[in-house]
Amino acid sequence: MSSRIPPLLEPYLALPPEASLVLLTSVLGASTNWLVLRFLHSALSEVSSGVSPEDEPKVLLVSFMLDLAFWRENARRLGLDLDKLAAKKRFVFVDGLSGLFLSKQQKASPAKGGNVTLSNSGLESVSEAIHNDAKTLRHSQGTTKIMLIVDQLDLLLAAGGDAVNAVGLGDLLLGLREEVHCTIVSLSADLPLVSNPQTPLEANHAAFLISTAHQADFTMSLRLLDTGTARDVSGVVRVTVGDRATEEDEDIQRKIEEKELLYFVGGDGGVKVFERGQ
Amino acid sequence: MSFRKRAVVVGQAGSNSTASQVTTTNKALPPGLRPSPLDGRLTTSTGTHSLDGLLAGHAGLALGTSLLIEEHGTTDFAGYLTRYFAAEGVVQGHQVHVLGMHEGWGRELPGIGTGEVSRRGSEMVNEEKMKIAWRYERLGEFGSARERGAPQSPGSQASSSTAVFCHDFDLSKKLLLPSPSPMRFVPITTRPPFEFKDLDTSVSPFTGFLNHLSTQLSVSPNTVHRVVIPNLLSSALYPPESSRPEHVLQFLHGLRALLRKYPSQVVAIITLPVTLHPRTTGLTRWMELLSDGVLELSPFPSSALPAKSTPGAATVHEEPPQGMLKIHRLPIFHEKGGGGGEASGFGDDLAFTLSRRKGLVIKPFSLPPVEGDTEAQQGGLEHEHGKATKVDIEF
Repeated sequence: MSSRIPPLLEPYLALPPEASLVLLTSVLGASTNWLVLRFLHSALSEVSSGVSPEDEPKVLLVSFMLDLAFWRENARRLGLDLDKLAAKKRFVFVDGLSGLFLSKQQKASPAKGGNVTLSNSGLESVSEAIHNDAKTLRHSQGTTKIMLIVDQLDLLLAAGGDAVNAVGLGDLLLGLREEVHCTIVSLSADLPLVSNPQTPLEANHAAFLISTAHQADFTMSLRLLDTGTARDVSGVVRVTVGDRATEEDEDIQRKIEEKELLYFVGGDGGVKVFERGQ
Repeated sequence: MSFRKRAVVVGQAGSNSTASQVTTTNKALPPGLRPSPLDGRLTTSTGTHSLDGLLAGHAGLALGTSLLIEEHGTTDFAGYLTRYFAAEGVVQGHQVHVLGMHEGWGRELPGIGTGEVSRRGSEMVNEEKMKIAWRYERLGEFGSARERGAPQSPGSQASSSTAVFCHDFDLSKKLLLPSPSPMRFVPITTRPPFEFKDLDTSVSPFTGFLNHLSTQLSVSPNTVHRVVIPNLLSSALYPPESSRPEHVLQFLHGLRALLRKYPSQVVAIITLPVTLHPRTTGLTRWMELLSDGVLELSPFPSSALPAKSTPGAATVHEEPPQGMLKIHRLPIFHEKGGGGGEASGFGDDLAFTLSRRKGLVIKPFSLPPVEGDTEAQQGGLEHEHGKATKVDIEF
C-alpha cells in the first residue's frame, strides 16, 4: 500500500502535527491534484502503521474547482473508496463547484450522501457550512483528529467580488483552523498573480498567498521545469520550511527538510518522485 | 456429412462477420461521439483533425471539458476554429449554443468538403464519387497519417458514412442548416428590453446565458450540446462591466460547474483576444485556470510580399506556416498532473496553416532552409568533405 506514496515524499505526506498548516501551490500546467490525492491516501488508507482504528484521522475536503466525481475516480486508483469512507463518517466532501454561482437554478438538486454543496459565495456562509461539517465530523464516533483540505481556496478571492478580500479570507482560514487538527490549503502561484500586483484581484491574491505562506509550517510548491519540457518529467516540487517552524522549537522541523525534487505523473495516475540526475 | 459441415462453417463465418459489423458500426453511441483510446471516456470532434490529434492522446475533446483558445493580434484564426467546431456540431446533429453572436454568424459556417457526401443525401449516386475522393484524400495526407488517427479503409468508410467522427469542411462553401435550426444564439444582455434606465453594473451580463444553458441541458438530456463563446470580453461585443472579475470568473466557474454536472452531454469552446487581455494579467490567468484546455495562437505578421515558392524540394508541397501555436494546458491530462500522454505535443513548437480545403492544420514547426544560402551550404559540404578526406588520410 505504501508504494502508492512516493518514498521521497513520505515524510511530508504523513499526518502533520497539531495546529499546523501546509501550503501547496500550483501553476498553470502543474496542478496540485495528485499531491492532494496523496495526502488523502496517507490519511485515509487502512494501513496507517500502528494506529488503532479509533485514532485514524478523518478528512474534510473542500474543493472549489473539481467535483466529487474527479476525486472519487482518482482516489479509487489509489485504492481508496471515498463513498465507503463517507458512510463510515471518516470523509466529508464539501462541493464548492456545482452550486456556488448557479444557485438560482440548482436548488432542486439536494446534497446526497451527506456531501454538502456550497450555494453562496459569501465568506460567512462558506465558513458556516464548513464549520458545521467539521462539527458533525468531530462529534461522530472515533477520533477528533480532523484533517481539513481546502483545494483552490483562492477562487473565492478571485470570483467573489468586492465582498471578499485577503484579510477576510485569512480570517476565515484562521477560524477554520481552530476547529480541526491540521489544515492543508492549495493556492495558485502563477507569475501574473503574484509578481507585479496592480489590479485588486492581483493585489488580494498576492497578499493572501504571501500571508498564508508565512503562516505555513511548510510549503510544497509545484512548477514546470525551468528548462522546457521533458517527456519523462512533469514538473518540479520544492519543499520550503516556513519561518514559524524555524524559530520555534526543533520538534516540528524534526523531519521536514528543504528539498527540490522532480516528479512525473503517469497516464495511469501513478507518480514517480526522484532527485535531479536520478 | 461433408455438406452439413460446410454449412456449419459458412454459417459461423456469416454470423461472425455480422457480429463484428454490429460491434463496429452500431455502438448505440450518439452521432459524433467515440470513446477515447486512452481511457474510454466519450470524446467528440473539434471539427479540426489536427487539433483532435493534439489533445493528449484522447483523439478528440472529452465531453464535459472546455477549451480556451487565445489569439494575439487582429486576425481571426481562432474564429475559424470555432466555426469548424460549430459546423461539426450541426452536421452531427448536436445542439449548438452561441453566446453574443448574431444569427448571421450561423449562416457563415463552412460547408462539407467534396470529400464527403452531404449526409442523408442521395448516397447511391455519390458513392462512386466519394470513393474516388477518399482515395485522393488518403493520397494527399499520406505523410500526415498520424494526425488522422487510425487509418480507415475506403470501403469501410463508404459503408459507414454516418459514423464519420470529424468531417472535412470547405471554407468556400456554406453549410446548409437543417430546417429546425440546431443553433441557438443568445445575446449578451444586461437589461430587459424597453427599459431605458441607467445600466445596473452589478448585474452580470452572463446570467442569461447560464440560465439558458442549464434549462436546455436539463430539458434535452439525450442530445450533445456544444457551447461556443467567440471573442470573450472583446469590447466590440461585451459591455465594459463584463470584464470585472466577479462577472466573468463567476460565469466561467458556473460554466465549469455545468460541464461537470453533465459530463456526457456538453463541451465548450471559448476564444479570447489576448491583445486586449494580456496573459500577464491576473484576470486572464484565472480564466485559463478555470478552463480545461488552453491554447495560444500567435499569428505571424502578414508579410506584404507574396509567398515565395522556395526551391528546396522538401518545401515545395508545403504551405508556409501562418503562425505559432502553444499549448499551455490540455483537458484531463493536466488535471491529473501532466505526464504520460504520448502524442500530446505539450511544449513542442507547433505551427498552424489555414487553407480553404484542409482547414486549420497544426504540425510541428520547422524552419525551411534559408534561401540564397546555397554557397554556404555548398561550402559547408565541401568543408565537411575536406575534413572527411583528411581523416581518411590520417587513418
